[in-house]
Amino acid sequence: MSGRDFTERDIHMALDGELPGEDRAGYEAWLAANPDMQARRTRYAGDAEALRAAFAGVLDEPVPARLTRAALGEKPVVVERRHPRWWLAAAAALLLAVGGAGGYVAASLGGGAHDDSAQDQLAEEAIAAHVVYAAEKRHAVEVPASDLDHMETWLSNRIGMKLVAPNLSDDGFQLVGGRLLPAGGHRAAMLLYEDAEGNRISLFVTTEPAAHGKGIYAQSGEGPRAVYWLDKGYGCAVVGSLPDNRLSEVAKRAYEQLVAGMIS
Amino acid sequence: MDDRKAAIVSEIPRLRRYARALLRDRDGADDLVQDCLERALTRLDNWQSGESPRRWLFTIMHHLFIDRMRKVSRRGETAMLPLDADEAMAAPAEQFGNAASREIVDALQAIGPDRRAALVLVSIEGFSYAEAANILGVPAGTLMSRIARGREELRGLLDDSSRRRAIRIVES
Repeated sequence: MSGRDFTERDIHMALDGELPGEDRAGYEAWLAANPDMQARRTRYAGDAEALRAAFAGVLDEPVPARLTRAALGEKPVVVERRHPRWWLAAAAALLLAVGGAGGYVAASLGGGAHDDSAQDQLAEEAIAAHVVYAAEKRHAVEVPASDLDHMETWLSNRIGMKLVAPNLSDDGFQLVGGRLLPAGGHRAAMLLYEDAEGNRISLFVTTEPAAHGKGIYAQSGEGPRAVYWLDKGYGCAVVGSLPDNRLSEVAKRAYEQLVAGMIS
Repeated sequence: MDDRKAAIVSEIPRLRRYARALLRDRDGADDLVQDCLERALTRLDNWQSGESPRRWLFTIMHHLFIDRMRKVSRRGETAMLPLDADEAMAAPAEQFGNAASREIVDALQAIGPDRRAALVLVSIEGFSYAEAANILGVPAGTLMSRIARGREELRGLLDDSSRRRAIRIVES
């Protein structure tokens, strides 16, 4: 025993690794004799653990290219700063659309030309591809995830843009593989993901030079839904039968990584 | 890439985590990190060679954060006020996994920025009291009282939100 008095302050010090070693035994004895202080210690330790857990995932996120560029003293790229605001509005619109009657709910998000038919087309193609291929157990993909490098190079070359398969393991989805598909007069890449319960989602990416515009559709009603966007010569849709908020979360994550990969 | 820049690049994930804990909003947090990195590059000479860039970068970012908070409060914006549950729902782009994580992230945003920074540096980033006090530019005693008050405030907010949840369940 160190013979000194302990206070609540020691709880913080102990939690933060600042309690001197020789005070440890006395501190533990003090806690044992003071159940309310013991309870407080347990509570603070739990809160601290919850805090760490809430932010732990940030370290595993891919670093946005604009930050690496800033650290290297390279010119910032404006295109990335523009997306987040849009995504926020788009995701909000999607949430509003949840639970609405059947059919499409479109959200026009101001600025920029709109090409509804191109948007419809992208969503429909993506959903059609998902319905056909996600249902295939053994022949869902042409190139399996085990051959990731080859798949990325091959699909990038075929669709004409740099494609890096997003890592969706934080959302519980593992890449199954990819395939090449026709999309209008173009080609599209389809990446298929699966979670532990066997739910599948697909990421449909196409170069679509004609269409510009920002927007999002939720195709509600029966069957899988698509969260998608068209921008600067490419289009992308995430399709699945997940609850809408979950789908929009996964889609956002996929989208960010896709954009980061494109300019990496 | 020279060694110093490489060392700075390797700190980006930690800076992002700190910024996210301070600001919650992902894009706002990354903007803060970007400002920090840009400023760091103009002050490379202030960084003692051989020293880890971590503390140096965190110090720069903390100054930027405090500047931003001051500007926000001068303009009378509400960025420092706690979001209630409905507003949090309207910001779905900020993803923090499960409901428990979201709750503690919301509570963290609701405590004062000084306490928040102290708590995050020590509890999440794992800095010692001496290091954290150095980064924040305050005496160790001030740091300790910010941590103690911050934890107490956080606990109260979490209790409030679980009470509200319980009331909602009873009502429905």
